[in-house]
Amino acid sequence: MLQEDRTDIFRTASAVSLRHVTKEFLQWQRDNTGKGMIRNLLKPEKKTITALGDVSFGIEKGEFVAYAGPNGAGKSTTMKLLSGMLLPTAGDISVLGMSPKKERRALMHRLGVLFGNRTELWWDHPVIRSFEWKKVVWNIPEDEYRKNLRIVTELLDLKDLLKTFTRELSLGQRMRADLAMLLLHSPELILLDEPTLGLDVVAKRRMIDFLKRINRENGVTVVVTSHDMDDLEEMAHRILMISGGKIAYDGDFDGLRKITGNLTRVVITMQDESVPDLRNSTLLSSQNGVHEFETDLRGSSVKKLMKYLSEVDGIADVEIKKAPIEQVIARLYDEWR
Amino acid sequence: MVDKLTIRRILGLYGIAAKMDLFWLLRDTKYALAAIIADLIANLATVSSVFLISVRFGGIGGMSPDEVLFMMAYSTMITGIFILFGAANNFHISRIIGRGQLEHLFIQPIPLKAQLATMGFAPFTGAINFVVGIALLVVAAIRLRIRVTPLWTILLVAFLLATMVTIIARAYLVSTLAFYAPVAAEEISTKAIEGTWLLSTFPLSGMPAFVQIPLLTILPEGLMAWFPALCLLGRPPLGLGSCYPMLYAIILAVFAAAIFRKGMKYYVTRGSNRYLPYGFRR
Repeated sequence: MLQEDRTDIFRTASAVSLRHVTKEFLQWQRDNTGKGMIRNLLKPEKKTITALGDVSFGIEKGEFVAYAGPNGAGKSTTMKLLSGMLLPTAGDISVLGMSPKKERRALMHRLGVLFGNRTELWWDHPVIRSFEWKKVVWNIPEDEYRKNLRIVTELLDLKDLLKTFTRELSLGQRMRADLAMLLLHSPELILLDEPTLGLDVVAKRRMIDFLKRINRENGVTVVVTSHDMDDLEEMAHRILMISGGKIAYDGDFDGLRKITGNLTRVVITMQDESVPDLRNSTLLSSQNGVHEFETDLRGSSVKKLMKYLSEVDGIADVEIKKAPIEQVIARLYDEWR
Repeated sequence: MVDKLTIRRILGLYGIAAKMDLFWLLRDTKYALAAIIADLIANLATVSSVFLISVRFGGIGGMSPDEVLFMMAYSTMITGIFILFGAANNFHISRIIGRGQLEHLFIQPIPLKAQLATMGFAPFTGAINFVVGIALLVVAAIRLRIRVTPLWTILLVAFLLATMVTIIARAYLVSTLAFYAPVAAEEISTKAIEGTWLLSTFPLSGMPAFVQIPLLTILPEGLMAWFPALCLLGRPPLGLGSCYPMLYAIILAVFAAAIFRKGMKYYVTRGSNRYLPYGFRR
């Protein structure tokens, strides 16, 4: 679904709503020549960078939305705008029906923000101490704090970590503890900027399962950015793709695949050493009689493909699967460059 | 729902800061005590060097050794208050701005001013200089036979407050530069406060007016201890009057607040927010 098709969302969107939001930064330009240094001293050259240009979209309560884009596309900037850390140059932002600028304090009682590259935990204290600090600063009622602490401790398997110093946690453990702290005040909307950054497969799996669970069972709206498209596809129902400060795609992951063609992977295992000749396909790899092809099913249907394969001699096994989303995205990024 | 910022709420914020400080101390008490004692020795060394010179020469610039001791006590109390309430870089605000940490304070559901006022409270690891300052003040007051009346005590508190406001306002004023150039100005408040700290512990009484006046106006080092100490001793210098430090503090605070607010507005609307989690390095 393209951006224009989503404009009706504004009427019903209650979690996040951006209308014609532009965010510009000023960047100082410098060169190392003597003339350049003197010029910078007298009249510094500044360049306006448009991180977001007239962006509009809406997110409904209970949605799990992936927010993706290449480096420098404006993902973190959007997260900071939604959480009131930065203000837009133009446009209106509403989060949970509130203005992050004018109602920041009220909003922060209902919003949770986590930046993967920055912990909110106290570095030189045990994890539980950071939780207790949050209870006081957020003014969380004792019973709500106890209940949430019990839940996050159980779901994120934190029991053995609560008395450990933050600085002694592994990255995966630290992210779990950060996520737990984020949830102590029962946020209705959580914004996660690169939460799986640097996590190993086990830690990542745990985090993804947990996020899906709180979205499904508690109705918490989740907006997550990541460079790992496979993770995003597994977690989110909808993906907003940003490129060059504009929303380039808004819809589901299957729709995203169709943009770059109906890319499909066909893995054929042969009984002998022969390599099948698959028309309109590209051979990606061949090893021990297993050949992997990439084919665009816009030109021919699965039915035709199956018919053709049934006529090839020596096939032991055939597997047809969607192209990895990473590949689809990489192709899109290349096109946007 | 916004919870009201009542006195009780503010005390709660000071309370949790104090609790975190206590737990930090208990985390590794041996190391913490070593750090506290080292800090104390460094500050006493600064103070005692000036005092010993005044003893050796029977005073400095018209101030007797006991008056110099009184001024050093005042200076030590100021250092103590600075450490007591500024343990989280909240006075060295350019560090917080330069390291991209300021916007992260916005995710707390309390006003930024309340956060900055309470987050650096460290009564267990940061009180020692203040306590020693009080002890020195008591000794000096006894030796100088000062009549400690309620009015004199109120004046002392007012001068201490004015000095602290001047220090913080100056730090915030220069730290505004970090909104425009986070990398270059990350440590600018440290330079502004600590770069001239030694100067603020020196009695200026013997100096000519062309040295004294700039140090009471352009660089307020004379207001850090010398001027308030002489006011409390009943001898305000240069005929400026005892209310001068308060006036200076108010004017500087109003000016610094306006400039800082302008810088922050620029930062959140136009500034480049790229940052590294542990601060910028060259």
